[in-house]
Amino acid sequence: MQEAQNVTPFLAYIDPGSGSLIIQAAIAAAIAVPVFLRSQIARAFRALRRSNGTQPSGGDDATAT
Amino acid sequence: MTRPRPDLRDASTVVDASDGRDGASFRDPSGFVFWRDGRPYRQVQHAFAAEWDAFSASDLKRRLVDRRLLIPDEPADIGLAAAPGAHAVVRPERIDFVSYPFEWTFGELREAALVTLDLQLEAMADGWSLKDASAYNIQFQGARPILVDSLSFERLEDGAPWFAYRQFCEHFLAPLALVARVDVRLSDLLRVHLDGVPLDLAGRLLPRRSWLSFGLLSHLHLHARAQVRHAANLDDGRSARQARLPRARLEGLIRNLRSTIAGLDWDPAGTEWADYAEHTSYGERATAHKDRVVDGLLREAPGSRVWDLGANTGRFSRIAAEAGRTVVALDIDPAAAERHFRSIRAEGRTDILPLVVDIANPSPPLGWAGTERRGLLERADADAILALALVHHLAIGQGVPLPMILDLFADLGPSAIVEFVPKDDPMVRRLLSTRRDVYPDYSLEGFRAAASTRFEILREAAIEDSPRVLFLLRRR
Repeated sequence: MQEAQNVTPFLAYIDPGSGSLIIQAAIAAAIAVPVFLRSQIARAFRALRRSNGTQPSGGDDATAT
Repeated sequence: MTRPRPDLRDASTVVDASDGRDGASFRDPSGFVFWRDGRPYRQVQHAFAAEWDAFSASDLKRRLVDRRLLIPDEPADIGLAAAPGAHAVVRPERIDFVSYPFEWTFGELREAALVTLDLQLEAMADGWSLKDASAYNIQFQGARPILVDSLSFERLEDGAPWFAYRQFCEHFLAPLALVARVDVRLSDLLRVHLDGVPLDLAGRLLPRRSWLSFGLLSHLHLHARAQVRHAANLDDGRSARQARLPRARLEGLIRNLRSTIAGLDWDPAGTEWADYAEHTSYGERATAHKDRVVDGLLREAPGSRVWDLGANTGRFSRIAAEAGRTVVALDIDPAAAERHFRSIRAEGRTDILPLVVDIANPSPPLGWAGTERRGLLERADADAILALALVHHLAIGQGVPLPMILDLFADLGPSAIVEFVPKDDPMVRRLLSTRRDVYPDYSLEGFRAAASTRFEILREAAIEDSPRVLFLLRRR
């Protein structure tokens, strides 16, 4: 009960809409997928370069997207 | 046909009832705006005391106010409280002229949307969140949008979704997408749907191609489907309240929404008036002379506020602003007003506010009891109105008799600078080329007679190299 009250403060006076709350997690997950994939690809590239004996180009590829 | 002549200047400052409560400030139980002696105050209720005190003392508020993203306020005597339950009373800075989203240009609505999301991102970084995202909470100072509701901030609870997501999408995303992807005239939907354009309606009006945009697909089309699927089901309501997403994910969602909005664009061309300024009928000499005459008459007209009716892309609004006036620039044409807004924005001006308004069909009072969103005429606060190259459009284009036109001008302000364009002017000949001339009173003499019923004619100046005449009028 306490938990439920915390989740929706009674001062949230506008109707957030059930569908609008539920869909946010799904959309946010979909947005996060490409970001995750990009960071994995970048990591793979770095690993590849290291194994080829070249220096990584510096900077943080994973977060530079 | 005698009409009452209310003092509109008073009506524009103090709204509604005995306690002076603002007619638009009643939904949020955290507090409300009220008016005393023509100044706005905000009362904060006990129920919101903890959030208010924390936000007021926060670095976030200081930063947002410093950057002119949030309206500044100063503490006021709590004895001024307009109703029981007051925790605090503050005096916010006053907005020059209150405008509404359905009067904004596309660019203004988009700027308001972007500033709302920027506020949300900045708030989230400090552990706060906007509890509402109403377009009516944004006002314009010239080209600069600012959040006027300092009660909108609540502490962000970890893992909670954004409660204002729906409101944001309906107030901003849907109308912007409709203008960018379908037709600028669909922005009129905001005048009917005061709480934003329903997403399912927007979804039906948008072309199929819009499903190919990730932003529109997710925030609008799938969002609309989710609303329909989960509507009015109590169990869904309960599970929705337990919906969770990590803060980084929520931030990603808001950033994606922001880039979706930023990616919506509209080319202000192809409407009736978009190229009007470039296609006026008279030569350089007449134009230069008209500029000088308008400037001279403006300097003779007293006061600081000018309403430029039929402002087009703002040539004369600018002259008024350069003469030290603040200008509300109204034009029926969304493309002309948009161009005007873009040029003002490029210069960072805060003294001209372009709006899309049809002076022959001004914004009516809307919302609860007809007092929530005030009509344009109730908001009239001009010291002087400019009506240049406008009267012939109203008299011949719209068929409004001259005395009625002058009557409206007199209701809008105590002084008026009006241009009369006679029938032998090429622009009027063009208007008459497709209709029968049923306007026998439309003449310089007829104009003088009509003006004299409500005004004193102080000056009359013929424009060189043109049959046009400018008048400086003072209300009787």
